[in-house]
Amino acid sequence: MKRHYLILCALLLLLLAACGGSQPTTPADSGDTGSSSQTVTTPAAEAAGPVIVRVGWGGSPDTLNPGTAVLAEAYTIFELVYDSMYQLQPDGSYTLELAESVDVSADGTVYTYTLRDGITFHDGERLTASDVAFSYNLYASQEDFPFLPIYTSYFDSVEAPDDKTVVLTLTEAIPNIESQLIYLYVLPEHIWADVPDAAEFENTAMIGSGPFKMKEYRQNEFVSLDAVKDHYLKGPQIDGAVFQTFDNPDALVQALKTGQVDMITEMPNTAVAALRNDANVQVVSGPPLSPSVTDIIFNVVTPENCPPDDGICTGHPALQDRNVRLALAHATDKQNIIDVVLLGLGAPGLTLIPDSLGDFYNDQIQDYEFDIALANQILDDAGYVDSNNDGVRETPDGRDLIFRLNWPSDSVDSPRMAELLAGNWGQIGVRTEQQSLDPDTLTSICCPAFDFDIILWGWGSDPDPSFLLSVMTTDEITTGTNETGYSNPEYDELFVQQATTLDDAQRIAIIHRMQEIAHHDIPYIIPYYAQEVQAFRLDRFRGWLTDAGKVALEDPSSLLVIEPVNR
Amino acid sequence: MKRSRYIAQKVGWALLTILFVITLNFFLFRVLPGDPARAGVRDPRLTREAVEAIRVRFGLDKPVINCFQSLNPMETGDCFINPLDTQFFIYVGNLLQGELGISYHTNRPVADMLMEMLWNTLLLIGLGQILAIVLGMSLGVLAAWKARTAVDHGALLFSLTAWSLPTFWLGIILLFIGSSYWGLPIGGRLTPGTVYNTSIERWLDIGNHLILPTLTYTIVFLGEYMLIMRSTLLDVLSEDYILTAKAKGISTFQILKDHALRNAMLPMVTIIALNLGFTVTGAIQIETVFSWPGLGGAIFTAVNRRDYPMLQGAFLLIAISVIFANLAADLFYSYLDPRVEDS
Repeated sequence: MKRHYLILCALLLLLLAACGGSQPTTPADSGDTGSSSQTVTTPAAEAAGPVIVRVGWGGSPDTLNPGTAVLAEAYTIFELVYDSMYQLQPDGSYTLELAESVDVSADGTVYTYTLRDGITFHDGERLTASDVAFSYNLYASQEDFPFLPIYTSYFDSVEAPDDKTVVLTLTEAIPNIESQLIYLYVLPEHIWADVPDAAEFENTAMIGSGPFKMKEYRQNEFVSLDAVKDHYLKGPQIDGAVFQTFDNPDALVQALKTGQVDMITEMPNTAVAALRNDANVQVVSGPPLSPSVTDIIFNVVTPENCPPDDGICTGHPALQDRNVRLALAHATDKQNIIDVVLLGLGAPGLTLIPDSLGDFYNDQIQDYEFDIALANQILDDAGYVDSNNDGVRETPDGRDLIFRLNWPSDSVDSPRMAELLAGNWGQIGVRTEQQSLDPDTLTSICCPAFDFDIILWGWGSDPDPSFLLSVMTTDEITTGTNETGYSNPEYDELFVQQATTLDDAQRIAIIHRMQEIAHHDIPYIIPYYAQEVQAFRLDRFRGWLTDAGKVALEDPSSLLVIEPVNR
Repeated sequence: MKRSRYIAQKVGWALLTILFVITLNFFLFRVLPGDPARAGVRDPRLTREAVEAIRVRFGLDKPVINCFQSLNPMETGDCFINPLDTQFFIYVGNLLQGELGISYHTNRPVADMLMEMLWNTLLLIGLGQILAIVLGMSLGVLAAWKARTAVDHGALLFSLTAWSLPTFWLGIILLFIGSSYWGLPIGGRLTPGTVYNTSIERWLDIGNHLILPTLTYTIVFLGEYMLIMRSTLLDVLSEDYILTAKAKGISTFQILKDHALRNAMLPMVTIIALNLGFTVTGAIQIETVFSWPGLGGAIFTAVNRRDYPMLQGAFLLIAISVIFANLAADLFYSYLDPRVEDS
């Protein structure tokens, strides 16, 4: 009896002791917070310590291994820590990075790069041509690297005849070598050559040759980088940069407001108005540096194009009629969708090629204006009438114009857009059956199965348009990349032409023509091109690149030039 | 004799449950729709060769178990293969060696990742639980002792309110107040980029980051403990033997301490054990609001990315901790009330 009581008592005492133990830390902490709240009110820069820019974002790199990384956050860090042959500038142009010059053979298949002098890795070793050749060959040969082999698909051989010369031989001449090389980061051979399995390498030390070097990485917490002041290009004006992860978007905005971070790379659009009113904060918006597009996908695959192995092809036959798609396009109020879904932070879309692709984007196309009466007229004329007066039109052979409308369940914007579309299209006698689907299920009904009518989805892309253009070619119907089943021989022909046209102006003209065709045929309605919205504090650093056309404050183009306000 | 048999029986059941969980855990993820090889890297540009390479890397090309090539879609296979070369036995074999596989998403060993996050979660939730238990129980005893007075009503009102507050809402409100007026850090566990001269500085930084999430957790759980403590103690205080004790002239404090509290502890032990078991899952909402790098958030991410090895490891950890917490409750119960061994 007594013993039990003692045990209970001891347990309570333990709890109390643990509680008491935690008590002393609280006063000490609040003392500590007193000082940190001072740093909030007085802008830090005059402090004697290192000048570090603090960036807040919602994600975290999935891995530091450039071969297996998927997330954009990882690529942001790679851009800062590694170098590649070219650097993509925010205005869409490319500059040479590791090389000081390049010599292209007359037939356009041999590129001879001469590297700059005095390039070193962060561990002090020299970066030579053999590191470049080693890296390119690694990317080309590693089947376990999911994406990079795509960029090396035109490589015939990479050689390093001497320390400063890299000879890259291609299997055929291509117009966009720059966009093939920007993500092929040059790795130190003296480290990676000894790695037994490159795809399993965690690469936590992350030795590169970029203007920042890895200091500390804690997944889902932060990435801390030190500046390389004596970098062979212009070194950073700051001493370091940290990227802190905030799982909660409201907390991210609050961190900027209270000065716990100096810049945020993303925010919910609902926060934009409040931040614009903050005198200490500047909000920047515009096309993103990494092109992305949101699309309304119509299943237009014809029976003869239905993929023989994987195709189910249950699309509504009316969607194969351009008149129906044209009516839907005229009945889609894009500006309203932008105002409601994006709170105005977007531009009306035309085709899969977004405005963030710069010169490749054809801004001369006249879009289908929002006109319900015209849309109704088009359907009337094409023979789609509501003969049984149930509010839904029927096809000439009596099938209701009821379309399945699906979107990925992890999309925040799609449910609202679907609701708006249902309202718009309801006015022309078209009904939708809406359902959000888990992304895997959506992939399985989408393509190459073509077991859907309409899907709301989207794409991200390289700075070069060839991938997004390929999405509408007949060849990609069976692979599942062509999600509409769209097929137009003239378009396919032009796609082949642009892939081999080396003259920039000519190639752009072909690509503009392709967009006109796609816009005319309406395999997609592109509701909008969403803008990138970022914000920074005015009292900490100045020099952020805000007028370069595209918005990417986390890009080296900003982080290399910003400097503290009070210096 | 009877006692040791009781313990052996309880431990035996716990181990059996763990075995069942290990098996279920494996098959559960194999019947889910979708291809994990594609889900890890969701990009249609992935070539067939690349997908195949990923399948080989994670052993997904091997048959699930004898007679079954895969479970989704149900696909029968060769029954006369070496069972040790099937996904199931490779999984069990690795488990025995403490290996939980490689995360599809991060390419890191799951065991390492879980370990890192387990400590973070235990720190946050452990501290919050201890505070909630101590404060909640004290408040409950106080309310029962001063039943039907202003103190009781006040404590009751406070606890009911605290218990019914949505966790994420309270978290966000505290986050806004704490960061705007008290200068507390908004998220994370450490101030990134700080150079710590001593480990004390480091712990002070962690402590600073802990204040808001711990406060949220304590307030939310305190109410539950208080209400249960109060009501059971009120029951006990109405028993005849308490009246007898009063008649003997024993002081109120002595009655509470020696006669009432011990009997009132039984339901508390159950609740505490259950809550401690689920501690390991972390508090997804609190961890998300305060960007605390714990297990709850990691499980959420893993579900989104269909990171099977990570989910398997996390589920196993949760199951084992719940089973052990229940075992501990059973054993502790038999100490408090020896009668349970008889039944």
